[in-house]
Amino acid sequence: MLPISYGTAIVVFCIGLYTILSKRNLFKTVIGLSLMEGGVLMLITSSGYVPGGVPALLPFAGGEPVNPLPHSFTLTAIVIGAADVALALAFIIKIHRRYGTVDIDKIRGLRG
Amino acid sequence: MNPVLAIVAPFLAAFTIPLFFVFRKKWVGTAVILFGVLSALTALFVAAGGEAVTVMGGWQPEVGIALVVDSLTTAFLILASLGFSASLSAAAETFGYGPWRFYVLFFLSWAATNGIILTGDLFNLFVFFEIFSVAAYLVVAYPPRSWQAIEAGFKYLIFGTVGALFLLIGIAYAFMATGQLNMAILARVLPRAPEATLSVVIGCLVVGLFIKSGTVPGHFWLPDAHSSAQTPVSALLSGVFVKVSLYALIRLAFLLFGSADDRVFFVLLLFGTVTLCLGHLMAFQQEDIKRLLAYSTVAQVGTIVIAIGCASSGGVTAAVYHAFNHMAAKMGLFLVSGVLAEDRASRDIAQMGGLFRHRPLFVLAFCLFAASIAGIPPLNGFMSKWFLLVAAAERGALIPAAAVVAGTVLSAAYYLRPITAFFGPAETEPPHHRPHPVTGAIVALLALLCLVLALAPYIGPLKEGLLAVGRDTVNGARYIERVLR
Repeated sequence: MLPISYGTAIVVFCIGLYTILSKRNLFKTVIGLSLMEGGVLMLITSSGYVPGGVPALLPFAGGEPVNPLPHSFTLTAIVIGAADVALALAFIIKIHRRYGTVDIDKIRGLRG
Repeated sequence: MNPVLAIVAPFLAAFTIPLFFVFRKKWVGTAVILFGVLSALTALFVAAGGEAVTVMGGWQPEVGIALVVDSLTTAFLILASLGFSASLSAAAETFGYGPWRFYVLFFLSWAATNGIILTGDLFNLFVFFEIFSVAAYLVVAYPPRSWQAIEAGFKYLIFGTVGALFLLIGIAYAFMATGQLNMAILARVLPRAPEATLSVVIGCLVVGLFIKSGTVPGHFWLPDAHSSAQTPVSALLSGVFVKVSLYALIRLAFLLFGSADDRVFFVLLLFGTVTLCLGHLMAFQQEDIKRLLAYSTVAQVGTIVIAIGCASSGGVTAAVYHAFNHMAAKMGLFLVSGVLAEDRASRDIAQMGGLFRHRPLFVLAFCLFAASIAGIPPLNGFMSKWFLLVAAAERGALIPAAAVVAGTVLSAAYYLRPITAFFGPAETEPPHHRPHPVTGAIVALLALLCLVLALAPYIGPLKEGLLAVGRDTVNGARYIERVLR
């Protein structure tokens, strides 16, 4: 069960990386970033999973709790990722205003 | 002094400057200067306070976040406070105090830089890296009117975020393999992990840090960001931002990678050599003076990565010494070329004729800095390259050493092009002449710093300090013992 979740996370990470490397549309680049981030977060969250575990909440009912530490990492990383994506979209709006396009091949300001 | 103050002081500045803007607009300038002095002094006091380990909140080091001051930390805290102070003074002259948002981002990146340098916790390192990076993307893209800067900022954002995600996935694997995040404990337990796990952890962390520091093949953001940003920001990028990622590489390489797998140092040597050659060759082709300096920075990053790859105390000493020399000289070069390019209203080297008669002192300072970067014998760049060559020869890494020597010749050749232009005849008089007293003073201080650094191997305490940095950093067991005591 566990290896499937790890494998899924890595596949999502790689799809995100492929999107960034291959797509020429700036919005798709940002979608790729989000996918990569989602992959990493899935990996971290699933690493805290304990088979048959209960939520690590007080008052404690008994049974084996899942590891709550990865969840707090995930929350921190989500906040950071949201800041990155928001900033990227703000940059894209600025770039679109200048060039009237979001195609990376037509934005030639810094090439060469 | 409690190390956390070095992080808190710039954060305090970043969060109170908007309040000053809302309630007392006239005080913003004074506040920026005072906060700059306060932040620099706090960092220097923490550095001068000697070795210390503080765990936040009084927890055990296994649970809480440890802040560690040792000799490597001390060296980089001094480097960061010198670089940020110089850049802040130049920015205050160039921009004035109107753009308060710029100063908020500036202090945010300062705080996060100190955080990266001080922290002893892997996840905390990632968090500070991201605060630092988000501030850095915006500082590069400043002012928002400049299209080139926006594009460079976007490019930096894409590369930086991909690098950060590789860092995060490496940290996640390290956590999954050991259940620990404290670097000292990880250094103890990580080598016991299976070999395949180790390769993945180390691979992800190295890729992330390579992209963040601008090592080939993650260097594409670096020349654009350096050449499109405003002059004080370019100086800061080259002087401090790139060095912070290299600090993280040094720290993790000797604490986590080195004890686990020696092959990683071969990878560092290989990529350092490729970066060095590519940086020098690309710099040779540039017509834009700031792009030339930016590719030269790529080459110097390669030099420092080679020094780390030597995997010895001599190599670390050379890396830290070269980081200081490059900071002093490259910040000076960017500030001078910013002033000269403003006079000509062009960054094209072909347009730079006759500037020696126009601004003789700035051009002479440029020559000193260029000679220092290229590594002309009595100057500081030569000294650190000498340390590096000795370390590389001891390691038996002769091809990287030969690349460093060949790079010296190449860089002398391409730095001669702008210098020839400066001393050559002018077709027209430079159209602008704005006095730059503060930038001039900073450039003079940086030139003095270059000369002092050139004498560092002959000054007892400085030499001892540099050698101690190498000894302490390589000795991972000492770090572990101090944190877990």
